[in-house]
Amino acid sequence: MGLHVGIDFGTSNSGVGIYQNNQVHILPLDSQNIDPEVVKTILYITSDDRSFIGQEAVELYYKHNINRQRRFVKKWSGEIDYHGADMHYVRDIYVYVDELQPGRLMQFIKSALRSEKYVGTQVFDRYYGLSDIIATYLHALKQRAEALLQEEVSGVTLGRPVKFSQDAELDRKAEATLHQAALEAGFSQVDFELEPVAAALYYEFSLHKPQNVLIFDFGGGTLDLTIMRLGDAHQRMVYASGGIGVAGSDFDRAIIQKRMLPHFGQGFVQNNPEILNLIHTIPDWAALPELSTPQARVELERAIQAGQAPVRLKRLESLIFNDLAFSFYNMVESTKIQLSGRGAVVARMKEKNLDIWELYTRAQFEKDIQEHREQIQRVLMDTVSASGLKPGQIDAVVKTGGSSNIPVFSEMLGGIFGSDKVKSSDVFNSVTAGLAIKAHQYSWTVVAGKPFAIA
Amino acid sequence: MINQNKIDEWIREVEERPASAALIIQYIANRLSELASREEELAAQNIELLNGRKVEEYENRIANLEYQLELLKRQLGGEIILPTEKPVLKPFVETINLLAYNPFGQVLRLEFNPTPLAHGMVIGRINTNEALVDIRPNILVTSSNEEVLFLFDSGRTEGIPVSSLPISSPDNLDWQQAYVQEPRLKEELAAIHPIARMSLFETCVQTSRRGFVKKIKTSFLATHVTEKYIGSGVKMPADRTCSLTLANKDDLYVLVSQEGYIFSMQVDRLPVAIEEVVHLGITDHIVAAFVTGQKSSVIFITQNGKAVNRDTSWLVQAGSFKSKGQPLLSKERREAGTRIVGVAPVSDGDWGVFLQSDGTLAVYNLHELLATGSIPTGNQNPPILSFASFHLPGIKK
Repeated sequence: MGLHVGIDFGTSNSGVGIYQNNQVHILPLDSQNIDPEVVKTILYITSDDRSFIGQEAVELYYKHNINRQRRFVKKWSGEIDYHGADMHYVRDIYVYVDELQPGRLMQFIKSALRSEKYVGTQVFDRYYGLSDIIATYLHALKQRAEALLQEEVSGVTLGRPVKFSQDAELDRKAEATLHQAALEAGFSQVDFELEPVAAALYYEFSLHKPQNVLIFDFGGGTLDLTIMRLGDAHQRMVYASGGIGVAGSDFDRAIIQKRMLPHFGQGFVQNNPEILNLIHTIPDWAALPELSTPQARVELERAIQAGQAPVRLKRLESLIFNDLAFSFYNMVESTKIQLSGRGAVVARMKEKNLDIWELYTRAQFEKDIQEHREQIQRVLMDTVSASGLKPGQIDAVVKTGGSSNIPVFSEMLGGIFGSDKVKSSDVFNSVTAGLAIKAHQYSWTVVAGKPFAIA
Repeated sequence: MINQNKIDEWIREVEERPASAALIIQYIANRLSELASREEELAAQNIELLNGRKVEEYENRIANLEYQLELLKRQLGGEIILPTEKPVLKPFVETINLLAYNPFGQVLRLEFNPTPLAHGMVIGRINTNEALVDIRPNILVTSSNEEVLFLFDSGRTEGIPVSSLPISSPDNLDWQQAYVQEPRLKEELAAIHPIARMSLFETCVQTSRRGFVKKIKTSFLATHVTEKYIGSGVKMPADRTCSLTLANKDDLYVLVSQEGYIFSMQVDRLPVAIEEVVHLGITDHIVAAFVTGQKSSVIFITQNGKAVNRDTSWLVQAGSFKSKGQPLLSKERREAGTRIVGVAPVSDGDWGVFLQSDGTLAVYNLHELLATGSIPTGNQNPPILSFASFHLPGIKK
């Protein structure tokens, strides 16, 4: 029988943990990432049917797509029925497909589980159902874990949100799809644990009597809120859950939009829709490589020759055509992370023609994400209200996820519930760690034939 | 760039968290030191430029490159003939050119001599592997010294002289060998329009397939053309732009739909913002937009080769926008499947080029065509896909 691991399959980031020798080990499966214990939930499938995940997928996607040739061909993709007052006719629908496309990048895979309509997609010659897509990603994670542990991994405890959907049938279907994907990925034993329960497991161990706990899971892609009764594993109760699709990646985008775009000509170039389109695409990291066309280069050169913000457009040209996009987005993310620890940082990049110096303060950051802060506060108060509890009746707030470390949100939670109630945890890996412990309990139960008792 | 706003924001940070002050000062001091050093470098380079040392350096580089060129010449065993005199320019002769194009941006240019034109003469045949009707081709007759504007349905434009398009042989008109003005993602080539005489007109009317129009002053149009973007000209997602018409404010602007509904209105009364001027049925769309100018009549061509002629005085100007339009075809003919494929204002001496679904391009004298009422198509002959009129040079309109 192989090992049993815990996998936090997140919207933006995932992680794998294992409980061995009375210790939780979060596996460093992505050596190319800033934090090797976090694997980006990104899948890149190449035209020759090879698949890559995490940072490797991102880097390969950039490498394949920057300065590459494109050839668009028109392909029939389906038909639409038109129904008029007394008539009906069918019209063919065509799409332009880049036949030289080297691969297909997929992100936010987990979000597809929440969708009623999404069933799969055609990737080159092969059709991938949703469970196939997830299975491909989980299989790659499993392979990496096995290579690191030098042992077969046969069981997995997967995290899942309290509700994938408000619709019970859709929620059941989402779990079934995830279960099927794990089996397809090669796990023979698959079980689930609620992500908030896993996140608060460390905290729950320390409790002597049941408490009302708010789990504030604020990661790269979403904010998930759960209000639960914790402290007795047999009598856990979810009072309310909620969330919003705002998280770390949206803050990166806000920094780029508010602080970085002027370095590339925003506000200096006018009446040039081609160039403005290039500038406004910068916040979308996945779309940036698509800009590196010969035509875009000609447009940029022409604008530079015409003296339209030449220094800034040279930077833009360098960002698009010199394979610097990846370093640029990392620099922005790193600036945001550093701001959690100090009041001011310098966003600095100096490579080829791309020279950026931007002194950025926490006050500026808080101003830039003001809209998101208000949205988050509304969702938080709505969830508390839906739980039927008053803020004073919440005994503790457990923070998890990278974005929960941002001071303004700690202050927000402290302001509403009281600073003494806000508990810090290993913000990046607490869900993974909790799932690893659950996985260990499960495997122990299977081996011993009786429930695991927590000392 | 450091501006007052940013300085205010830094001050605010210091007010909120005084501990940040030391960090901010440190960062700014480091930056100043970096910039000072950079300034010194630039100043040194400037001195070199001013005292001629850079010039000397570049002269040395040029001399070195010339030496390498000389070596290459010797290796190649002869002199490279470099152009030292201006080439003798050939006298420019204006010719009639037919442009056939499709939504994929493929353009075939056929040059033909006007003198031996005969009624019904085949001037070329487009070879294609797939059914021509699926490619949705269009034709335009223009002069070789025209400048044409490629209009894409996204609103993007591209100007190019006709003379720079490669000429195809009439025996070998093949889309595979056509000039390609490649559309971008999700884009199609909507139309090609001559624009050399743009400055002679006061305004330009952009038309969409669903009968929406907007008027643009030609002075603005010139700017748009320079910027290569004229606007999509549509309001509804399913709609797309299909035509640009140069006009003066007193001209009569005419729109004709595939099902034979006509909208006409004086250009001066057309809207500046995008508005639906004719309300078309769900299956209908605009096939022609033009101004009548000095032409005395309008010819309508159906897909089965019928030519219907109407005096311009027959056109009834619409009293308001969103009108249903003046019908050309009877209900019975419309229900029988008769459709308009091309319309043009004509006068004596005008000719028409017809593109048939088998790829045949034939010219007809429109005066003679109106006498017979139709060109020989129908059940035995392939239907007409597109039609364009032209006037032979030297013949007074």
